[in-house]
Amino acid sequence: MTEELRKTYHEELESIRETIVRMAGLVGETIPRGTESFLAGDLAEAQQIIEGDDAIDAMSVELEERCYQVLALQQPMASDLRAITTALWMNAEIERSGDLMANIAQATRRVYGSQVGPRIRGLIAQMAEEASRLFRLAIDSYAEGNSGLAVALDDIDDRLDELHLDAIAAIFESNREQDLDLQVGVQLALVCRFYERIGDHAVNMGERVRYMVDGWLPEHSGALRAQARATESGGDGQQLG
Amino acid sequence: MTALLVVLTVGLCVALSVLVVGLRERRRLSQHLDRVANRAAGTVALVSRSPVAAVRRVEAVLAQQDAQQQSRETVQRLEAALEALEIGVVLVDGSGAVVYCNSAASWYRDGRHGEAVIAQKIDDLIVVARDGKRVSETVALYGPPRRVLFVSAIPLVTAGEAVGAIALIHDVTELEHSNTIRRDFVTNISHELRTPIGAVSLLAETLIDETDPEVINSLGKRLLVESQRLSRAVSDLLELSRIEHSGSSEFALVAIQKVIREAHDRVRAAASQSGIAITVEVPALELYVRGDRRQLISAVFNLLDNGIKFSNPEGGAVTVAVSEINGRMAIVVADNGIGIPRQDLDRVFERFYRVDRGRSRTSGGTGLGLAMVRHIVANHAGHVVVESTEGEGTTFRIELPVAPPESSSDASEVAASSGESTEP
Repeated sequence: MTEELRKTYHEELESIRETIVRMAGLVGETIPRGTESFLAGDLAEAQQIIEGDDAIDAMSVELEERCYQVLALQQPMASDLRAITTALWMNAEIERSGDLMANIAQATRRVYGSQVGPRIRGLIAQMAEEASRLFRLAIDSYAEGNSGLAVALDDIDDRLDELHLDAIAAIFESNREQDLDLQVGVQLALVCRFYERIGDHAVNMGERVRYMVDGWLPEHSGALRAQARATESGGDGQQLG
Repeated sequence: MTALLVVLTVGLCVALSVLVVGLRERRRLSQHLDRVANRAAGTVALVSRSPVAAVRRVEAVLAQQDAQQQSRETVQRLEAALEALEIGVVLVDGSGAVVYCNSAASWYRDGRHGEAVIAQKIDDLIVVARDGKRVSETVALYGPPRRVLFVSAIPLVTAGEAVGAIALIHDVTELEHSNTIRRDFVTNISHELRTPIGAVSLLAETLIDETDPEVINSLGKRLLVESQRLSRAVSDLLELSRIEHSGSSEFALVAIQKVIREAHDRVRAAASQSGIAITVEVPALELYVRGDRRQLISAVFNLLDNGIKFSNPEGGAVTVAVSEINGRMAIVVADNGIGIPRQDLDRVFERFYRVDRGRSRTSGGTGLGLAMVRHIVANHAGHVVVESTEGEGTTFRIELPVAPPESSSDASEVAASSGESTEP
C-alpha cells in the first residue's frame, strides 16, 4: 500500500482505470473459455474457472478499497469524481459478470453426462459469442471514453435478448419431444439467463461510461417521467420530486 | 646620454605595449576557447587560467561528446535491434518501473481484453524475476482470436548487482497448433487402423475353433465388414498421399458443371436412401477451371457425402451452388444438419479428425474426406472455408480461379447439361 500512496493523485486515477481494464480482461476470457468447457463437459476446466473467480473477487475488493481511499483522501471533483464513481460501478458490473460465468461453470457439473441437442448447443454458443462481444465493447467504450459506442450497446443487446427467447423456446420444444430431462432443461434455461444477464451488465456499463463522459444519468429520464406524471395528476396525487 | 635615455624609454614603451597586446590577445584567445567549450559542454561561465588549459578543456569536452555520441549510437542500435524482434520485450529498472517496451509489446501499456490479461501476467512474473528467479508460463487466450503465448521473465544483473528485469513474450499459437495436430494425428491413425485390425484378428481367432455353420457365417460377415473398413482407410490414405504429391503438370480445362453433375450422381443413391433432398444450382454459362477432373469430382463428392451424413434423416436438405465473381468461382455446399461445434471448426480439415467419435463408426467414413478436399483445393490454387452453427447446419465454400474458356472438347458436353435440377 505504501507504494500506492507514493503515487500521485492522477497516476492513481490512471492506475485504477488500468486495473479495471485488466480485471475485465480476466472476466472477458472466462466467457469463451467457460462456454467451451460447458459445451464439452470439461469438469476440470470448469473447476479452474470457479477457482479463478476467487482471484477476480479479491482483485475487485482491493480495487473498491482504492477507490474509497481516493474519495476520502483526495476529495476529487467534477470529471475526476465521475471517473471514480464510474470505476466503482464498473468494478461491480465486471465482478458480477465474472460471477455469472462461475455460475455457468457450476452448471457444467449439473448437466454433466446428459445429451443436449445440437440446436440448443448452437444457441448457447451464439449467446456466448454475443455476450462476449457486448462485454468487450462495453470495456472498449470505457477504455476509450467513447460515449457513442456506450449508447449503441443497448441496441446491440437486442440480438442477445432474441437469442435468449429462441433458446428458451428450443428448450421447451426439446423437453416436449422427450429429448431433454426437466432438470437439465431448467439448468440450461438458467445458463441462457446468465448469458443474457452478462449482456445486461454490459449495457449498464455503457450507461456508466455515458455518465463518466457526458454526466448523463439513466435514472434521470425515469425520474423526469415520474415528475411529469405527478404534475399531470394534480394536487390530489402523491408528489414526487 | 639623453639619446640613450630616449632609446631606452622608447624601447620600454614598445616592450610594454607588446606585452599588453600579447596579454590581451592571450586573454581573448582563452575567452574564445572557453566560449567554445562552454557552448559545446552546455556550461555557462567556466573560465580557464591559460590558453593551454582552455585548449585542454575544449579537447576534453570534444572527447566527452564523442563518447556520448558513441553511446547514443550504441543505444540506438540496440533499440533498433529490439524493435526488429518478433517477440515482445518489456524492460523494468531496479525500482520496478517499466523503462522500455518494444513494438511487439506495444500493447503492454494500454492493451485490453486478452492483452490486458497478458500485461497482468507480465507484471506478476516480473515481481518474481526481480527477486532473482527466472520464471516462465504459457498462457492460453480464448480470444477471439485464440492465441497461446509463452511469457518469461529474467532478472538482469550487472557486476553482481540486480539492475532490473526483462520479460519476453513469444507467440506460440502456430507451434502449439501444429503440436496438437501431430499428437492427435498419431492417436487418431492408430485408432482408425488398429481398431479394425484388432477386430479382424479377434474374429479370425474365434472362427478357428467354431463349428456351428450359422456362427461361422455371421463371424465371416463381420470379418468382411471390418476388413472392408480397413481397406477403405488404407486406400483413402493412399489417395490422400497421391493428391498431396500430384503436381499441376497434367491439368486440363475442366467444366465445373460436369464435375458437379458427376459428384451428384455418385451420392444420389445414398441421399435418396436417407430421404435427403439435394438441390443443384449452377449458372447457365459454362465455367471452366484448370485442373484434375478426378480430383475435383472427389472434392465435391466428399462435401456432398459429408452433408448427407450429417443431415437429419427426413427433412434434411443439401444444396450445392456454383457462382462466379471477379474471376473467382465459388462452389458452396450447404446442409441443414447437426452442425459443427465452434471449437472443432478449424480442425475438421485435419486427417482423421472426428468431431464425434461415437458417431464415426455408424457413419462409416474414414475421417479423411475433408483432408482430401483441402489438399485438392490447395492443388488448384484455391481455398476452402467452413462456417457452421450447431443445430442449424454447415456451409463449405470452395473458391477456385476461373480459367478462360478456350476451345475445349469438354465445352460442347457441358452446354447440354447446364441448368438446374432438383432431386429428392
